[in-house]
Amino acid sequence: MKGSPRERSSRPLAWGIFPPAVSSVVTDLPIFLAAFSVFYAFLVVARYWFTPFTAQAEISLRPSALPMYAMFSVIRIAISYVIALLFSIAYGYIAAYNKRAEKLMIPLLDTLQSIPVLSFLPGVMLAMVALFPRRQLGIELGSLLLIFTGQAWNIAFSFYSSLKSIPREMHEVAEVYRWHRWQKLMQMELPFAAIGLVWNSMISVAAAWFYLIACEMFTLGKQDFRLPGLGSYLQTAANAADTGAIIWGLVAMVGVIVVLDQLVWRPVIAWAEKFKFEQIETSQVVRSPILELLRSSRILPYIGRRIVDPVKERIASRVAIKAAREPETRGRRPIARVINYLPAAATLVALAWGVVKMSGLALALHGSELRGIFVGGGATFLRVEVTLLLAALWTVPAGVWIGMNARRAAVVQPIVQVVASVPATALFPIVVLLLTRVGGGLAVGSIVLMLLGTQWYILFNVIAGAMALPTDLREVCDIFRFGQWERWRELILPGIFPYLITGCVTASGGAWNASILAEYFHLNGHIFSTTGLGALISEAADNSNYPVLLVATMLMAAIVLLINRLVWRRLYAVASTRFKLET
Amino acid sequence: MSEYPRQLRELVAQGRLDEAIGLFERLSPVDAAAAIFALPFEQQRILFRQLPTKLAARLISCFPYFHAYVLLQALKVPEMAATVESMHPADRDLFLDALPEETWQNLTDTLERARSQSALPEAGVEAAPAEAPIPAPVATEAQPIIVARQIEKSYQQPEGREIQVIAPMDLSVEPNTILAVLGPSGSGKSTLLRMLAGLLPPTKGEVLWHGEPLQGSHPNVAIVFQNFALFPWLTVLDNVEAPLLARGVPRRERYRRALKVLVTVGLKGFESAYPKELSGGMKQRVGFARALAVEPEVLFMDEPFSALDVLTAENLRRELLELWSEKKISTRSIFLVTHNIEEAVLLADRVVVLGSNPATVRADFRIPLAQPRDRKSAAFLVYVDYIYKVMTQPSLELAPPIPTTAEGKPKWQMLPHTRPGSIAGLLELLMDHRGEEDMYHVAEELLLETDDLLPIIEGAVLLGFATAREGDVKITAEGRAFAEADIATRKSLFRDAVLARVELIRKMKSALDSKSDHVMPLEFFHDILDEHFTESEVLKQLETALNWGRYAEIFSYEPATDKVSLHKASDFETQNAAARE
Repeated sequence: MKGSPRERSSRPLAWGIFPPAVSSVVTDLPIFLAAFSVFYAFLVVARYWFTPFTAQAEISLRPSALPMYAMFSVIRIAISYVIALLFSIAYGYIAAYNKRAEKLMIPLLDTLQSIPVLSFLPGVMLAMVALFPRRQLGIELGSLLLIFTGQAWNIAFSFYSSLKSIPREMHEVAEVYRWHRWQKLMQMELPFAAIGLVWNSMISVAAAWFYLIACEMFTLGKQDFRLPGLGSYLQTAANAADTGAIIWGLVAMVGVIVVLDQLVWRPVIAWAEKFKFEQIETSQVVRSPILELLRSSRILPYIGRRIVDPVKERIASRVAIKAAREPETRGRRPIARVINYLPAAATLVALAWGVVKMSGLALALHGSELRGIFVGGGATFLRVEVTLLLAALWTVPAGVWIGMNARRAAVVQPIVQVVASVPATALFPIVVLLLTRVGGGLAVGSIVLMLLGTQWYILFNVIAGAMALPTDLREVCDIFRFGQWERWRELILPGIFPYLITGCVTASGGAWNASILAEYFHLNGHIFSTTGLGALISEAADNSNYPVLLVATMLMAAIVLLINRLVWRRLYAVASTRFKLET
Repeated sequence: MSEYPRQLRELVAQGRLDEAIGLFERLSPVDAAAAIFALPFEQQRILFRQLPTKLAARLISCFPYFHAYVLLQALKVPEMAATVESMHPADRDLFLDALPEETWQNLTDTLERARSQSALPEAGVEAAPAEAPIPAPVATEAQPIIVARQIEKSYQQPEGREIQVIAPMDLSVEPNTILAVLGPSGSGKSTLLRMLAGLLPPTKGEVLWHGEPLQGSHPNVAIVFQNFALFPWLTVLDNVEAPLLARGVPRRERYRRALKVLVTVGLKGFESAYPKELSGGMKQRVGFARALAVEPEVLFMDEPFSALDVLTAENLRRELLELWSEKKISTRSIFLVTHNIEEAVLLADRVVVLGSNPATVRADFRIPLAQPRDRKSAAFLVYVDYIYKVMTQPSLELAPPIPTTAEGKPKWQMLPHTRPGSIAGLLELLMDHRGEEDMYHVAEELLLETDDLLPIIEGAVLLGFATAREGDVKITAEGRAFAEADIATRKSLFRDAVLARVELIRKMKSALDSKSDHVMPLEFFHDILDEHFTESEVLKQLETALNWGRYAEIFSYEPATDKVSLHKASDFETQNAAARE
C-alpha cells in the first residue's frame, strides 16, 4: 500500500496522550502476542501430529480441557480452509480460462457440491491412514481433507464466476498494456474476486463447524476413530448423556465462533471494502476496531516496506523480464497440442475405469437394499420439503417484521446473526435428548434438526429483501390505504420473492446435507435413526457398506442436481426477470 | 494520374509555383483538383492564392463543397468575390445550395458588400489572412504508422451463420494526425478501434504496423476507455504505474514517470486517492495519465468524453488539444472514436464517417482548420452540417463504393431504435420552427447527442412524417397531421403509417392474422430476424417493433409467456370509438 495508512485511519482510542514511543508499543504489543500465540499453537499441534498413531484419543469431559480442544479444532479448520482456498483459486482459474477444461470442470464441481461430506469419509480416511500408517498425521490429514470437502466447492464456484464476470474493458486494459499472468492475478483477478471469496470463505468455515462433529469422530468398519477437538468433545458428551458437558462444549464453541468473527471476519470484511467494484463511494462502511488497530501499528508497515514490497518487486520484475523474452505464441506446435490433450484423455480413462468399478459395486446390491435406498430417498425428499415449508412459514413473517423497520433491524439483526452462527450440529444432542424425553421419534425430530440448520438462510434473505423494498412503493400502499392482505399480495410477497428464492436454494442444499447428520445419531450409547437417505449414507459409512454408500450418494446427488435444474433454476430465472425491482 | 500529385508537391516544395500553375493548364480540372487535394493544406492555400481567378473558379467546383469553402476563405475578399463571380452559374448555385443556412448567409453578405464597395480589403470574413511568406515545406512523413488492408469482421451466429459487422475496408493512420471515426451507435467503431490496436484479430484482411503484421509484435499503444476502466482497488498512482510495472520498469523510475504524467494531466496531489473518491472528469484524467505513461506511439480513445458532463468534457478536450499541439506528449497520432459530431470537428485533422450494418466507410476527409477552432465560425458549421448530411444520406459517398459481398439478397429494412413519443416530440419541435430545420440546430435545441437524434429522425422519415435532405429535416403533411392530432387520432395515424411502411410489423401482423387464435411466440419472429442481424441487434429490432406495434394497438405482448397476440379492442375502446363516430 502506498502512502501511510496511519495518517488516514482514525484511531480507535485517544492514544494521543501517550508519547509516540509508548503508543506504538501499546498498539504493537497485541500484534506481537497474537503472532507468538499462533506460532506456539502450530508448534503444539505439529508435535502432536507426529506422535505415534492412536485411533482413539482419550477425550476428557472436564471443562478445563476445552481450550486445548478448541485450539485443535480451530487449527484443523484453519489449515483445511487454506488448502480449500488455494485449491479453489487454482480450480476456478483453470476452469475460467481453459475452455476445454471448463466443459468438464464445472459440471464436476456442480456434482461434487451435491455430494454430502460424509460420503467422502471412508475413501479419504482409508487413503490417508494407508499413506501414514505409523503417525497421527495420517488420520489428521484424513480429517483435514474431510473438512476440506465441506469447504472447497462453493469457494471455487465463487472464484470461477467472479473471473467470468470481470468486465471486458478490464481485460482489454491488461492486454493492451501487456500485463503478464502474475500481475493480472494480483492486480485484477484476485481483487475483483475478493468480496465473493470473503463471503464464501465465511460460509465455508461455518460449514466446517457444522461438520466438525462428523469429521472428528467416526467409525469406519470395526474401528472407532476419535481426534482431540471440540467436535469429538461434544459427541463424547452426547454419548455419555452428560448434559453439563454438552452445555460447556456448546458455550465453548459459540465463544470461539464469536471471537473468530470479531478477530478475523469483521476485520477482513472491513478490509475487503476497498475491493468493492463500484465507482462511487458509499456512505455505509463496515468498521472494525481490530482492523484499525492493525492499521495504526508501526511494525506491520515496517515489515511491509522492508520485506513484502521488495519481494513483490523482485517477483514482478522477474516475471516482466521473462514475459518480454518470450515471443507471443498463438499457434502451438503439433507436439504441444498432443500434450495438451493428454490430461483430458487421462481424465476420460480414469472416469471410464471409475464407472466400471462403480457399476460393479452397485450391481452387488440386493433388490431389497435398492428398494430401501429409493424409499429412503422419498422419505428424505418429503422431509426436506416439509423443512423448507416450515422454515418459510415462520421466517417470512418474522423477516418482514424485522426488515421493514430500519431501527428494529439494526437491533435484531446482530442477535440473529450470533444465534445463527451456532452450528446446528452442536445443538443436536440437546434437541435429541429433549425429544427422547418428550417421546418423539427421530422421524419427526430430524425435521426439527434440519430446520435448525437451514432456517437462517431463508431468514437472512427475507430480511434483506424486506429492507430493500423501495420506500416510494410502501408510501403508495399507505396513500391508497391498502389493507394487510393487499399489502402482502401486491408489494411484500412479490418484492421479497427473489430473495426468498435465493434463500430457499441455499436452504434446500443445506437441508439435504444436514439430513445425513439429522437422520442418524449416536446418543447415550444408542443409535437413533429413521428411514431416510441420510440415515442410509451415515449407516453405510459407519459399517463400510460401500455399495449402499455409493448408490445412496449417487441418488442424493442426482436428486439435488435435478431439483436445482428443474425447480430452483427456473424459479430463479422468473425471480430475476419478472420480480426484479428496477430503479 | 498518380504522378501528378508527386510532381506538384515537389514543385510547390521548391517554390516553383509558376511551373505548378503551368502544370494545371495541361490537366483536366478534375485531375488538377485531385492533385491539389493531395497536398498538405498549408501548401494548398499558398498555391490557391497564386492561381489566376478563371482557373481557380474552374477548379473550385471540382472540390467537395466544404473544402471549396475553406479554400475560398484563404483569399482576400475581393478575390474571393471575383472567383465566385467567375464560377459557372450552375456550379455556383450547386455550391451555394450545399452550404448550411448561416454559412450561406455569411458568404452572400460578404460578397454583396464586396460588390457594392468594389474594393475594401478587410471586409469582415474572419479567415481572410494577410499574405504570408511561403513557409518552409512541411516535412510530410508519408509513411503511415498503421495500415489496415481489407480488414473485415464477422461474428458467428449460434446456428453457424455469419453476420458481418464490418465490411472489408482500408484505413491508414498517419503520424501527426488526430483521426476521428464517427458513426451511429452499433456501427462497429469500437470494433474497428480494437482491431487496429491489436486487441481483436480481424476475420479477414491484415493490419500492418510500420509494415509488419500486427500479430505477435508488441505495438506501443494505449487506450482511453469511455468508462475509464480504472481498477477501483488501486490508488491513482498504482493505476498509472501498472502498465510500467508490466514492462519491468524498476520501482524508482516507475514512480518518477508516473508522477511526471500525473503532473501533466493536473492530478498532482491525488496520487494516493482511490478512483471512487474522484469525479468523472478526474477519473478520465487518470485514464489519460495511465495511457500517456507508456508514451504510446498511437493513442486510441474510445468515446473518452461521452461519460462526462458537458462542461467537464469541453474542458478536457481543450486540455488534450493543448497537450497535443504544444507537443507536451510524445504520442505521434491519436485515433478517436466518437459519436459526437462537434467533438470530431473540434479535434480532428481527419474524419472518417462509418455507415452501419455492416460498417463501411461513407466519407473520409480532412479538416484543415487551424487550432483552436471556433464552434460558432462559419467554416466549423460547414463541416458539422456536412457530416450530418453524410450520416443521414447513405448515397452521399466520398469514398470509393465498396463492392457488396452479400449474395444479392435484398437488404432487410432496419428499424431505428426510437420510441413513438420521441418522434412526436421531434415533429412538435419542427412545427414550432415553421416545419424545417438544420439537424445540428435540432440537436442543439433538444440537447441531444447525434447518436440519440439520428434514430428519431430516421424513425420519422421511415414513417413518412418527415423528410431528411442535405442535413435538413422537414415535416410532411402526414407529420403535420400527426403532430396536431389528439392521442387517439395519433394512434390511428401511427398505425396507418406503420402498416404502410414498416416491413417487420406488417409481416408480424399478417402472421398473426393467419393464425386462428391470433397468438404467436415471439421466438418465431426472432428466428426470422436472426438471418439478418446479430443477436443483440435482433433483440433491439424486436424491442422497437413491439414498442411501435403496441403503441399503434396492432398487437399486444405478454412478457410472462413471451407471446405476441393480435390486439383486441376492449369494450371500453369500442364504445369510445362508437361515441366518436
